[in-house]
Amino acid sequence: MTKRFGKVVACDEVDFTLRRGEIHGVLGENGAGKSTLMRVIFGLTLPDKGVMKLDGRSVRTLDPLEAGRRGIGMVHQHYSLVDNLTVWENAALGEQGRIDPAATKQRIREISEKYGLEVDPDAWVRDLPAGIRQRVEIIKCLRREPRIIILDEPTSVLTPAESEQLFDVLAEGVKSEQWAVALVSHKLDEILRAADRITVMRHGRVVERYLTVQADAPSLARAMVGRPVALRAVTAGLDAAASGAPVGKAAPTGSGEDEGAGFERAPPVLRIEGAAVKAGDGSVLLDGLSLEVRAGEIVGMVGVEGNGQTPLADVMSSMLELDEGRVEVAGRAVTTGAAGAMARAGAAVIPADRHRSGCVLGLTVAENLMLSLLDRMHNRGLLRRDAIRRNALDLVEEYGILTPGPDTPLGNLSGGNQQRVVLARALSADPKVMVAHQPTRGLDVGAIEYVGDRLRRAADDGLGVLLISSDLGEIFALADRIAVIYQGRIVGGMPRSELDMERLGLLMGGAGAAEEAA
Amino acid sequence: MIPGAPPAPGGSAGGWRGRGETALLYLLSIGVTLLISGGLVTITGNSWTQVMGALLNGAFLAPGRWGNTLVIAAPMLLVALGMVIGVKSGIFNIGQEGQLLMGAMAMAYVGTKLAGPGPLLLVGGLILGTLTGGLFAALAAVMRFRRGVPEVISTLLLVFIAFQINGFAITTDWFLRDLDPNRPSRAVTSAQLPAEAHLPVVTLFGNEFHIGLIFALAAAAAVAFLLTRTSTGFKLRLLGSSPNVAQNVGVAVARWGSAALFASGALAGFAGAVMLAGGASSSRLTSGFASNFGWQGLLVALLAQSRPLMCIPMAIVFAGLRTGSGFLAATGVDRKIVDVIQALLVLALLIPPAVQFIRDRRKAAAVAATGAPAEQGAG
Amino acid sequence: MLDVLAALADIFSSPTMYGSAVRLGGFLAFAALGELVAEKAGTINISVEGSLLAGAFGGAVAYHLAGSTWVGLAVGAATGVLIALIQANMSHRLTADQFVVGLTANVLILGLAGYLDAIIDPIAKRASVIEIPLLSDIPLFGPALFGQTWPTYLLYPLFPITWWLLYRTRWGLEVRSVGENPQASDVSGIDVNKRRRQAVCYGGVLAGLGGAFLVLGQVGSFDTGAVGGRGFIAIAAVYFGGWTLRGTLLGALLFGLADAFRLAVPVLGYQLNAQLLAALPYVLTIAVMYFITKPFRQPAALAHPFIRGLR
Repeated sequence: MTKRFGKVVACDEVDFTLRRGEIHGVLGENGAGKSTLMRVIFGLTLPDKGVMKLDGRSVRTLDPLEAGRRGIGMVHQHYSLVDNLTVWENAALGEQGRIDPAATKQRIREISEKYGLEVDPDAWVRDLPAGIRQRVEIIKCLRREPRIIILDEPTSVLTPAESEQLFDVLAEGVKSEQWAVALVSHKLDEILRAADRITVMRHGRVVERYLTVQADAPSLARAMVGRPVALRAVTAGLDAAASGAPVGKAAPTGSGEDEGAGFERAPPVLRIEGAAVKAGDGSVLLDGLSLEVRAGEIVGMVGVEGNGQTPLADVMSSMLELDEGRVEVAGRAVTTGAAGAMARAGAAVIPADRHRSGCVLGLTVAENLMLSLLDRMHNRGLLRRDAIRRNALDLVEEYGILTPGPDTPLGNLSGGNQQRVVLARALSADPKVMVAHQPTRGLDVGAIEYVGDRLRRAADDGLGVLLISSDLGEIFALADRIAVIYQGRIVGGMPRSELDMERLGLLMGGAGAAEEAA
Repeated sequence: MIPGAPPAPGGSAGGWRGRGETALLYLLSIGVTLLISGGLVTITGNSWTQVMGALLNGAFLAPGRWGNTLVIAAPMLLVALGMVIGVKSGIFNIGQEGQLLMGAMAMAYVGTKLAGPGPLLLVGGLILGTLTGGLFAALAAVMRFRRGVPEVISTLLLVFIAFQINGFAITTDWFLRDLDPNRPSRAVTSAQLPAEAHLPVVTLFGNEFHIGLIFALAAAAAVAFLLTRTSTGFKLRLLGSSPNVAQNVGVAVARWGSAALFASGALAGFAGAVMLAGGASSSRLTSGFASNFGWQGLLVALLAQSRPLMCIPMAIVFAGLRTGSGFLAATGVDRKIVDVIQALLVLALLIPPAVQFIRDRRKAAAVAATGAPAEQGAG
Repeated sequence: MLDVLAALADIFSSPTMYGSAVRLGGFLAFAALGELVAEKAGTINISVEGSLLAGAFGGAVAYHLAGSTWVGLAVGAATGVLIALIQANMSHRLTADQFVVGLTANVLILGLAGYLDAIIDPIAKRASVIEIPLLSDIPLFGPALFGQTWPTYLLYPLFPITWWLLYRTRWGLEVRSVGENPQASDVSGIDVNKRRRQAVCYGGVLAGLGGAFLVLGQVGSFDTGAVGGRGFIAIAAVYFGGWTLRGTLLGALLFGLADAFRLAVPVLGYQLNAQLLAALPYVLTIAVMYFITKPFRQPAALAHPFIRGLR
């Protein structure tokens, strides 16, 4: 199969075979073409070339409905559930014919029971936490009794325990009902854990095929990236924690509660006390969150997505006003929700969704790069065009941004280069503290390494960094200290040197609420 | 939340082929407009060529006509510039018809109710008209930024309130009603603006136009300069492109958005004051004084794709259609055909940029596919 | 003060007032129901104003030519859809900005109706009043609801039909889904922009019907100023109702009542400035939108265009 987008080849003569009764892991870094391959199978993208055979017969899926009729189901990474519909309504989306609420609900209950995926069919999806939503996704997929199931990065919103449960369900279905499962992931450990066979993709091509029993992490990593790499850049989760390759300077020992060797003496550059805020519809976004980041340290915030990470980043971007609590940046209290107040006080943010609040696609590269320096870039209200251009050229060089020129619209740059622009603009204003929310999501390995190194270097120069990530590997590789967020609160933490995976997993799953009370 | 006109396409249409296609699309769109309006005229039993001839004569060719056209173009241009400021800032103010009327009302009040030397009245009226138009639009800003009411709807509703305020003003004795028993017409109007408070008139090659035109041209240059060269303009464009980023870097969405709405209403108000001081409807406020200038100014901005300098030729085209329609009576065609042509023209010219946008979008998606599959959707 | 209260009591106890409230509110309700469906699918359809006018003109011309109210209503609905088709295809196929398209469509139909009206000059007539036995005997509200011209009664079944469409059919589920989360709908296999186009067209049918009702069921003649911004009030009714069917109906009735109040005051012999009275429905609408709108209730993707691959 071949798929081109304009001049770009997303999939280049990819061969892929999926057998009944197996879990087939598709491994590759972001942009390797694995998602495109799955979208073609599911009918969301039409291929330019190639054939697909289902049970030996040549077929072409033109849209997801047809894929569903052919017995292909897909569990999507994001965006597949509608918040303001109930569970059963979501499950009924994308079918045809009359809807029958009673039968749909009954069917959901049956599936719930069979696979131990408990969920209330009448619940509103907007009220459900991320883990349960994933269940709904799976039920929505299973309801059509697929023979082929595609899972696209299914664990990014799950706790380790929930991931385990998911893999158990898959293993059960493969064994008892001969499902054919395609598990797409960029996480080595979960592919090794769950798959029977592994296909590794790189730059739109299949580069290696393994039986899992013959594969090991280093060789997979090499195949995925195309060169030997530090495992930390590509692995995530438990394995990374075990190998725990430290980066930058040596891990500070005993920087925990008792000893005060490392950063304890450094002044706090960010202090949040009792931050609480509710959304317009009354749902709780932050619920008394308290946190401290000291100069020169990287605090890794872990937690399942949707537990308050985005509201926290929004507060630090001056986009959200706190109902209660206070925020201090570099020792000075900052008004929350006042335009530009956080930035002026010295807080920079790399948002998770750069298109929402990180950069402006419609403006040029140079204009984006001056955003944090607006006050310095005009002379009595007239823009200093020379200064803007010089600033852009300097930053483009310093951060290795690939662009035809500073006056190119940002939208014409690739995702990795856009992220470099975001990083450059965030660091260009010499912030005291940086909140980096999923700074490497969607980037290729080179860019991931670059962003990580850059953050580490900035921290070594005295920047306090709050690194929010659902990628545990990234946290373990970079953070000096770990804080766990759950339902809008910090429910516990530990220095990296005293990492306790089991406790971390429990905290992320909500077991920390009691602990915190104690 | 409110997107403006279709976003400016990322790069050029990509080489000669793309540009040629775009040009062809534009030509086709205009052709279709002419075809439909021509068909309409023909079906109703009239001659399209006669209509075209009358329009051209009325707009430009007949003696003294292009001066009239320029007089009409001035307020349209001002209204369009206000729209441009709004759209660039992500604000979709479409209540100019009402804001213009409010501005004219303020001018009428200053000119007919206050005593003083004429030039002072003129300047005072222009300033007060500008402020009134701006403040009237600012009502929508309050609704938008305090309660989240979309300005698209509130500005529209305010138009109808402005009509009634105007009706109230010219029928109320202590307000603007003309109480002179010797007034020329029996229709209820305001008193006439004193001649000393009129805008000075320039005569060129037998064509007369008042200096409102110069104001409008200056305003076009100023708006273009503001948007491209000043930090204020940059902040407005930033607000229009990404309110979140704007808020992050210190451009308060509510404050700057309100300012943009105020500015866009102020320009409409100024347009209204200029119309009255420039002799529109004999410098009397009437119930139909705004007579679609607000709507047409809006269309001018849309046609110019929110580029301030492009508004100048577009305003002249629209004004030409309007003055030209004065010559239609001889052909037996109702002048309303001009409204149809104008709207069709705008609709037709929406198509090429939309097609180009889709094409650019595909290209951008392809670029993004290599670097960041997250942008593909489920990637 | 007491005088004012007595006058208000007099006005609000007058059956004619409620009669005209139902007529005027009914006119709004046609448009608002359709607008609700369009907004549920994610379009703020300001061309509803144009659809109303098109429906009114189409209805008048059809009655003029065919002499049948039924034909008038049917043609009115069809002309309403014509405007909706422009809106739907321009904004949900070509991705032109929906407000730009809507506004221009309104200007277009205003010009077109004015132009053709001068040529055709359609003569319309009000349909006959049918009093529904028993129901119309209920004091105060009986005659208002059940003693109307017969096209009014077309409105009543439209509520359950629209409700059923929105909440009991797959189409309605998909309409709600594309207004809330077009990306999710897309990957679930729903043609997002098609559903949006259909929803806008449903709005066009109802608004066209409403326009024809205005001419044939209420006023009895056509005038280009007849709609006069009431389409925008219908949009406000949807906001007032918090995007629920019941609330939208309530909003339409409330604004109809305000309109009726405006008419009832002089009829019952009270003196109040005509212009201020005429402004009342608009002022009330604005006030209501300011105080009652809860923006967080709106369909999450309202006014956001959908282009696959673009979040």
